[in-house]
Amino acid sequence: MRLRRNSNLLVEPPSSATGDIAFNLIVFFLVCASIQPDSGRKQTLPKADQVEQEQQQNENIQVEIARQAVFLNGDIVTMETFQPKLKAKLDVKPRPEDKEVVVKSRKDTPYSQWIAVTSRIEDAGGIVTLQLEEEQTVAVP
Amino acid sequence: MKIKRKTSRAEVPSMAMGDIAFNLLIFFVILARAQDDSHLQWTPAKAANIEAAGHSKVSIVVDKDNKLYLNGGEIGVGQLADSIGEALGDLPAGERLVLLKVHQEILAQRFEPVIEAISEAGGDLVHIVEDEQKK
Repeated sequence: MRLRRNSNLLVEPPSSATGDIAFNLIVFFLVCASIQPDSGRKQTLPKADQVEQEQQQNENIQVEIARQAVFLNGDIVTMETFQPKLKAKLDVKPRPEDKEVVVKSRKDTPYSQWIAVTSRIEDAGGIVTLQLEEEQTVAVP
Repeated sequence: MKIKRKTSRAEVPSMAMGDIAFNLLIFFVILARAQDDSHLQWTPAKAANIEAAGHSKVSIVVDKDNKLYLNGGEIGVGQLADSIGEALGDLPAGERLVLLKVHQEILAQRFEPVIEAISEAGGDLVHIVEDEQKK
C-alpha cells in the first residue's frame, strides 16, 4: 500500500506578533535618529547695541567681507594670509576690548564665506562684532 | 434555594496590546514632528574646529528657499527676537543655546538680521556647520 504524503501543513509566522515587531522596529529607528548630535561653532557676540561707537570702531581692526574677497583694514587679503596677518595685529593688543574685530559684510556675501572668515577671526583670538547697516525710511515730499 | 450569581471575568484582549502601542507611538511621533525641523532642506557651510553643539530649546533654520523657521514653524525676522526670548525664558547663561542652521548660499542681508535678533534676545549662538575636513 502506498502512503500519501500529507501536504496540508502550512507554516506561517504568528500574525499576533506583527504589531509588537513593528513597535520594536519603530523604537529602534527613533533611537537611531535621535542620537545624531548637531555639531557646530559657538560664537560669542557682544549684546546688540544701537548706540553709534564711531570712536571705538576706529581703534578696532576692521574686516570687510565680500562675495569673493576679504579686506583687512581696507587692504585686500587672501584667505590663506588673512589669519596670520590678523593674528599679528591682535597679538600687539593686550587689552581684551581691543581684540574686538568689527565685521562688515556686503549684502551679497554668502553664509559659507561669512562663516569661513569669522571662524578664522575667532581662531586668531579676535572677538567678532557685527556692524550692521540701519534701514531708514525716508519720506519724499 | 440560593442562586449563585454567575460571575463573568472581563479582560482587555492582550492580543491587541501591540497594535495599541503602535498607534500611540505613531500619534506621538507626528506630534513631535510638528516642532521638529528635520524636514527642512538646507546644506551646512564648512568650518574648522567644530564641536558638539549640545541640547538646545531653540533651533533656527534659514532654508534653501530663503525662508526663516523657529523650531520648525515659519516666522518673520521682525518677531524673531521676542519669540526667542519667550522660548528661552529665564534660563541662566550657558544654557541659553540657540542653534542656527543657515543654508550655505544664503546672503548676508538675510542671515545678519537673524544673528542680530539672537544677540538681542540674549541667546548663546551656535552655528551648525560641517567639519571642513570631512568629505
